[in-house]
Amino acid sequence: MAESIVRLEKARKAFPLPEGGTVTALDGIELEVARNEFLTLLGPSGCGKTTLLHAISGFVELDAGRIFVDGDDVTERPPHKRPVNTVFQNYALFPHMTVGSNVGYALDISGTPRMERDSRVGEALEMVGLGGLQNRLPRQLSGGQQQRVALARAIIARPKLLLLDEPLSALDRKLRQAMQIELKTLQAELGISFIFVTHDQEEALTMSNRVAVLDGGAIQQIDTPRAVYNNPANEFVASFIGASNLFRGAVKGNTVVTAGGDVIQVSVDTTSMNQVTALLRPEQYAIANGERDASAAYMDVTVRQIVFTGAGYELHGETASGHTVVATIAAAQQTQVANAETSRRATLSYDPAAVHLIPASGGKP
Amino acid sequence: MSGPSRRGRERAQLGFLLGPVSAFLTIFLGGPLAIMLIYSFLAPGLYGGVEWQFYPHNFGRILGFADPEFEDFDPVYLAIFLRSVRIAATVVIITLLVCYPAAFQISRLSEKRKSFALFLITLPFFASLIVRLFIWVLILKKTGFVNLTLQTLGIVDEPLELIYTEGAVILGMVYIFIPFMFLPVYASVEKLDWTLVRASQDLGASGFQTFCRVIFPLTLPGVIGGSIIVFIPSLGNFVVPAVLGGAKTLMLGNLIEQQFLAARNWPFGAALAMLVMSIVLLLLFIYVRHETRRGDDAPGIR
Amino acid sequence: MNFVHKLGSLSLIVYVFIFFAFIYLPIALIVIYSFNADPVNMMRWSGFTIDWYRQIFGFRNASSEAALYIESTDQLLAAVRTSLIVAASTTAVATVLGTAAALAVFRYSFFGKRFYRVLLFVPMLMPDIVLGIALLIFFVGVGISLGVGTIIIGQCTFLISYVFIVVSARLAGMDRTLENASADLGADEWTTFRKITLPQVMPGVVGGALLAFIISMDDLVITYFISGTSTQTLPIFIFGMLRRGIKPEVNAIATMMLLFSFAIAALGLYLNRRKR
Repeated sequence: MAESIVRLEKARKAFPLPEGGTVTALDGIELEVARNEFLTLLGPSGCGKTTLLHAISGFVELDAGRIFVDGDDVTERPPHKRPVNTVFQNYALFPHMTVGSNVGYALDISGTPRMERDSRVGEALEMVGLGGLQNRLPRQLSGGQQQRVALARAIIARPKLLLLDEPLSALDRKLRQAMQIELKTLQAELGISFIFVTHDQEEALTMSNRVAVLDGGAIQQIDTPRAVYNNPANEFVASFIGASNLFRGAVKGNTVVTAGGDVIQVSVDTTSMNQVTALLRPEQYAIANGERDASAAYMDVTVRQIVFTGAGYELHGETASGHTVVATIAAAQQTQVANAETSRRATLSYDPAAVHLIPASGGKP
Repeated sequence: MSGPSRRGRERAQLGFLLGPVSAFLTIFLGGPLAIMLIYSFLAPGLYGGVEWQFYPHNFGRILGFADPEFEDFDPVYLAIFLRSVRIAATVVIITLLVCYPAAFQISRLSEKRKSFALFLITLPFFASLIVRLFIWVLILKKTGFVNLTLQTLGIVDEPLELIYTEGAVILGMVYIFIPFMFLPVYASVEKLDWTLVRASQDLGASGFQTFCRVIFPLTLPGVIGGSIIVFIPSLGNFVVPAVLGGAKTLMLGNLIEQQFLAARNWPFGAALAMLVMSIVLLLLFIYVRHETRRGDDAPGIR
Repeated sequence: MNFVHKLGSLSLIVYVFIFFAFIYLPIALIVIYSFNADPVNMMRWSGFTIDWYRQIFGFRNASSEAALYIESTDQLLAAVRTSLIVAASTTAVATVLGTAAALAVFRYSFFGKRFYRVLLFVPMLMPDIVLGIALLIFFVGVGISLGVGTIIIGQCTFLISYVFIVVSARLAGMDRTLENASADLGADEWTTFRKITLPQVMPGVVGGALLAFIISMDDLVITYFISGTSTQTLPIFIFGMLRRGIKPEVNAIATMMLLFSFAIAALGLYLNRRKR
């Protein structure tokens, strides 16, 4: 048995543009998805994530490269002969069929005996919490219910791999969060791999075992959500996931000095590096109390704006060189926030050990 | 399933779907139009039929360079042509004036009433054309509904000359073509964003200014579309003038019919038909070009 | 201001009533007067009768006066029969060809597709007298004798366009991911066409067929030129009667034709709404 459930080798795909020329949607993608893994493809629109999904399901033919599902080369197979199923973005429920016929469609096609088909349709609907709705038509259901029907329809044939194409994007925020948890649970129950496409970074971080960040048809980084967030491989990943303060500069001993003269203290080994980008997440900042701690580093900023966010404050400031800084300040620091608001100045403290350095070569300009 | 075989199968399916219909239309639509074009440049035979020689004077008889061997240029054909254009244009303007306010009011009804109103307007389109014209014969003729009513009420002593006039022809066409004008106009009016009207009024425009500067320009596509759809069948119409018109209201369509069924001058009839056809094509060409350009410029407004 | 506004919208409402009155009062008039007993002037009311209806169905009438006006019932029935034969044949041919063209244009990309789509609009927009005489010249030139056959061919040339447009509109409203979803769930192309595409376009096909049937039954101009001397469809029969002078039973025939087309149109609109 193969180790991975899906493997892409040097997958390449370019689309012709109407005005001439081509756009590269997949630029030599190498990807492996493990059994029972929840992998998320994350990236801005046009990054190639949907093309990648369609290449696996068979709706897009690769220009070059190969695709293996469970060890079998499926590159040349049409969609209906691939052991993968898809939950479509707009659900794509057949409007002229009942919920039961929609869910049972794959079984009807494969000629599953009536009794077994009916019981499996019932089971699948139970599983997504829609037991007893077999005879409704899709249009009689709410958006959330349609979503569940689409899910039940895609899992009923027990595919080796389930592809989900931004399935939650049409739902409102509350429902979306509930569905995220449900999908995660369902994946664990079914024991099949999920490849989930989204442009919502929060969704990607909460649900996945691993996140693959895509841009320009290439995988920028593929790792656990934590690693992608804390140790982004390049500036694109750093700025696409989470809010970030990026300082580009030259390494001088234990500091990074930007062109404008801002100095960032670091405590990691910098011997092998020369030009870097230092990443400080907003929540790594606090407002300094006045007394200085030797283990901490400090940064003086001019306060531009302080926004109350409920859980705390968001401070928008500028360093002496005019570099914009965003800092999340805990609600407990409201005295300091009030001072900063009146004096329009603040000293921000941060832990040099928390600063993440991205080598200059690894980033896109 | 690899490239070439998939493409090959698609070609075969395409041929299966498109082959028969293409063959049918090429033979029975392309063929007749081509032959008609050729006929319009042939000389008429003495006793019907044609003589196979190039003869531009069929068009000349209409446009002013008649065959000098047979006749002087007679402007009667040009007059008929201009009358047809005038009548068709009048029909367009009247149907527009009739339909525009109605489309407005109907677009503001509740969903249920709206679809009922649309149903009522579409319904006559399916009713027999000849029957609907026949109704107007009964209404307008000398001993018809209007004259009998007026005489009974003592308003007139002698029956009015209502039928077999240009007015009757126009009325008949308006009656028949109302759905043709209404539906495109309604489609534009329905799409009209009323917040734009409110915005215009908010910015100080009067009702009339708002209409001229906002409402009318935004509904113009429907107005133009409807006008063309009404103008085309009005111009070459021969049934309405044949039923409701008289000798004085002869239109292009009747002239063509005469050439084919009475005078048996087929080349001249074909030339007249080509004239109608070229006006129609010209109109459609202008319309399509206008549409595509507008679509490129303002993708938001549609 | 408010008063002016109210007056404005009131007059608009009144206007809409007049608008509908203009469309429907003449129709109501002919239905009412089809029961008028006066055999000389059909518009002078002189009592209720169903004689004209009896007459067109071939019954003898009590009033001998009315018998004077009998246009041959056989001719009328023959015209109805011809119309039905023509309409049924053209509907079948035009529906098959028009639907095939719509599917091809929707599904496949091929060279000249845009041009093809425009081309399929042309017969519908062409003035019918032009198409009529072009067909006449063609049939006579090629040596096909005029009759039911030429009427069927001639009507199909433009009815294909109507079916094409109705089916295309239905296809355009169809979600293409449905076909993808079906393939994704294991259905091959043919199964997908049968189970997903066809049920989705069916209302369009039925609508197109009904439209083709009605237009075929009603076509006058094109049929007029290519029907020859011995063949008459119903509209041509009535056109002929109008030219020879109006007889009272025309009212009854007209009323029945109106009812017939309204019934088919209502059926089509009802089916269309229900299937959506």
